[in-house]
Amino acid sequence: MLLKAENVSMQFGGFRAVSGASLEINQGEIIGLIGPNGAGKSTFFNCLVGDLRPTEGRVWFDGHDVTQASPEEHAKLGIGRTFQLPATFEDLSILDNVMVGAFLRHPRVSDALEAAHRVLELTGLSEIAQQKAKTLGTPGRKRLEIARVLATEPKLMLLDEALAGLTPVEVRRAIELVRKIHQSGVTLVIVEHIMEVILTLTDRVLVFNQGKVIASGKPSDVVNDPAVVEAYLGRSLSRQKGRAA
Amino acid sequence: MKRTGWIALALVLVLFPLSFDDPYYEQLGSLVLLAAISASAWNLIGGYAGQVSVGNAIFFGAGAYMPLLFYKLWMVSPLFGFPAGIAVSIVIAVIIGIPTFRLSGHYFSMATIAVAELIRIVVSNWDFLGASIGLTGPAVARDWSDLIFRSSTPYYYMFLAVLVLLLFITYRIERSRFGYYLRAIRSGERAARSLGVPVSRCKLYIFMLSATFTSLAGSLYVVKFGFVDPSSGFGTLISVNMVIIAAFGGAGRLLGPLLGAVILIPLQSEANSFFGGGGTGLTYIIYGAIIMLIARYEPGGLLEMWDRFRERRASRRNKALERAQADSKVQNSTAG
Repeated sequence: MLLKAENVSMQFGGFRAVSGASLEINQGEIIGLIGPNGAGKSTFFNCLVGDLRPTEGRVWFDGHDVTQASPEEHAKLGIGRTFQLPATFEDLSILDNVMVGAFLRHPRVSDALEAAHRVLELTGLSEIAQQKAKTLGTPGRKRLEIARVLATEPKLMLLDEALAGLTPVEVRRAIELVRKIHQSGVTLVIVEHIMEVILTLTDRVLVFNQGKVIASGKPSDVVNDPAVVEAYLGRSLSRQKGRAA
Repeated sequence: MKRTGWIALALVLVLFPLSFDDPYYEQLGSLVLLAAISASAWNLIGGYAGQVSVGNAIFFGAGAYMPLLFYKLWMVSPLFGFPAGIAVSIVIAVIIGIPTFRLSGHYFSMATIAVAELIRIVVSNWDFLGASIGLTGPAVARDWSDLIFRSSTPYYYMFLAVLVLLLFITYRIERSRFGYYLRAIRSGERAARSLGVPVSRCKLYIFMLSATFTSLAGSLYVVKFGFVDPSSGFGTLISVNMVIIAAFGGAGRLLGPLLGAVILIPLQSEANSFFGGGGTGLTYIIYGAIIMLIARYEPGGLLEMWDRFRERRASRRNKALERAQADSKVQNSTAG
């Protein structure tokens, strides 16, 4: 088992954002985290990557207890993450953004440069490597974030809505990229709203609602679970109908 | 910068004191270099790491007081005070850095202001350090190690050597993993952390290095002027000066602080002599105006303005070239 979260809870003052969520991820899986807005997906996600320290429960990664570990330590152990709102280093070139990631495993500049170019090649950013990150649009920034994390050579990569806000064509390209990353041996956790992504990519999904995991299993089964339809799909469907009318 | 540019810059800096016989210019040259040293030292923490210290006068003052304190206590050469100033500065940097570098945002800046003022007030009231009168060095050189020279030229070359060393270290850092990490921290701490950058440690190390060279600048200042009091050592204007000079030239750029010093120090000196004794207050007003102008129009300083200008010119040239090519194609096709 690569990652194990047991009974993780996160309390903000009087508000319990995540309550007793558990998750086990095996090497080579792609796991989806879905649920309506404010369901606690992102909070749970941030507990897994060290941005938040859970108020209850434990998280193990690769045999280490990482419940209290800092984000830096998570990265060092091999957990990479992207941000919901891209947090690229704006003033740095695309290459330098990736270099920062590459330095984690390659302290020497020449080695890091080589590793960074490999990642840029894989993610299709080679041709614009010298541009500043701030010249990129949202799809480019999301791609750059993935590239930067990839350069840290993670065992587990967590993508926080890495495909949200993309056009259908861009989503397809991004799905291809995620597949490529998975084939290279990286285990993935994907937080996503787009059902197409979840259905085509993931082996297993966890559905969050009001801070609790209300269902988990194969994506095709979960989609038909009445509790899930009620909590998530039902509501969004009815909202869509309302918009159409 | 191209090789010819570096050589030209080196020649100008080395030959400057030899090309004037006027003590005013010799003095001005050494003041420019001194300001460039302390602004370049500030640039490490404030420019590259983006942690705006408004209290680097702490280290400048420590570096200035220590040599004269050693002289006062044991009548030894001020040179012995140099390492002592650096040691005190590093200790203070660690004391400020460890608690504040865990936090992001303005806590660090606020802490530096508070500690600097605290130290200035303590020193102003402490007889051991001369209280508000300050400390004085040897009036006449006993031997070379007192570093007292009639002309400004020896000081000029001493300052130049330290500046070159500092810029060389900065240049090496810029191109190393540490340099990349600092720029990443300036650009986004949370993201840097997620990529495994040891943020607090990097900030602390660069702050210690910044403190070291700022202290050295203070020690150099005091061997040249032979005198320091609380406001010329720990004054707020000393801290602000470093920020303005570096930001004006280009914070986070190797030669930004030097450029800032070359422009602002002569300006300051001219303003002081033009307005006479009443001019010192005007310096503050001019600085306020510069801060506003930089913050509003050019946060990257002069060097970034220059970069943008060149970029725009290059892109205009490319466009003109493309248009010319397109035109000739059209002509060819109509001709064919």
